[in-house]
Amino acid sequence: MIQPQTYLNVADNSGARELMCIRIIGASNRRYAYIGDIVVAVIKKAVPNSSLERSEVIRAVIVRTCKELKRSNGIIIKYDDNAAVLVDKEGNPKGTRIFSAIARELRQLNFTKIVSLAPEVL
Amino acid sequence: MLTVLRARACSSLCASNPQPLLQPWKLGFSSLSTTVDAGVSKCTLDLQEIEKILTDVKADDVKIIPVPKQNDWADFMVLATGRSTWHVKNIAQALIYKAKQKQQGVERMTLPSVQGQNEGKWIVIDSGKVIVHALDENARAYYNLEGLWSRGTLQNEPVEDLQKALVKVRRKNNSKKPAQKNA
Repeated sequence: MIQPQTYLNVADNSGARELMCIRIIGASNRRYAYIGDIVVAVIKKAVPNSSLERSEVIRAVIVRTCKELKRSNGIIIKYDDNAAVLVDKEGNPKGTRIFSAIARELRQLNFTKIVSLAPEVL
Repeated sequence: MLTVLRARACSSLCASNPQPLLQPWKLGFSSLSTTVDAGVSKCTLDLQEIEKILTDVKADDVKIIPVPKQNDWADFMVLATGRSTWHVKNIAQALIYKAKQKQQGVERMTLPSVQGQNEGKWIVIDSGKVIVHALDENARAYYNLEGLWSRGTLQNEPVEDLQKALVKVRRKNNSKKPAQKNA
């Protein structure tokens, strides 16, 4: 359940460290974002000497949430943190590698590019 | 006594019932899954077909990489390079056209999902077990998918990146007091 003002970790090597969600893309007053949703976010912390800077506005796809994700076969997936991957408007990831496991729902939501960069798919 | 007997009878019935009940269920399931599999194999593209199409549209540097076994979400990744964005788009178009042509006359067509078609730098054609990546030259060098998916580097590289990502940063000391030495 990601809403505006939520802080997110960054799960790729794009150069950002921490994001803050400022808007969820979808309906006009959508409340929460879950795994596979796109949010608009501000970079709150960045790695020094990287192309991205603090207070830059970017788009990101949520890849991990503390809120559990339920599958129809009864499996529940919940992570310890909220994390996102930076993407551009066309859906290409900014980073070239993604850290830690991500859910396979992202593939059904047309983020196969992110899934193919990930080391493990749950 | 009667109730106990009834309960026993019930339990024995319940115990005996599930198996015959379950068997047709299981049978139905297995038959269903086989039909589904057959349907999928019919409509999605094979490796040979994809290779042929890629040579026909003159895609450069075609590489087929079997996905490591711990990842079961796909069997093969096919990488192909296009010379320009138009060329990359044409590669994708050719694959979709072939998929359409293959299942002419079928009641329900299942087309592969395509991503990134507007831009033409990196197009992914996801036809179930085989995933085709058509990339620009720059994009291919940038993302370095071969390095990620070919064996050996898969284990080493992410770990290195992780170590870089988890480097501890010392907090800035903003206090105006002179730094005390450890007493």
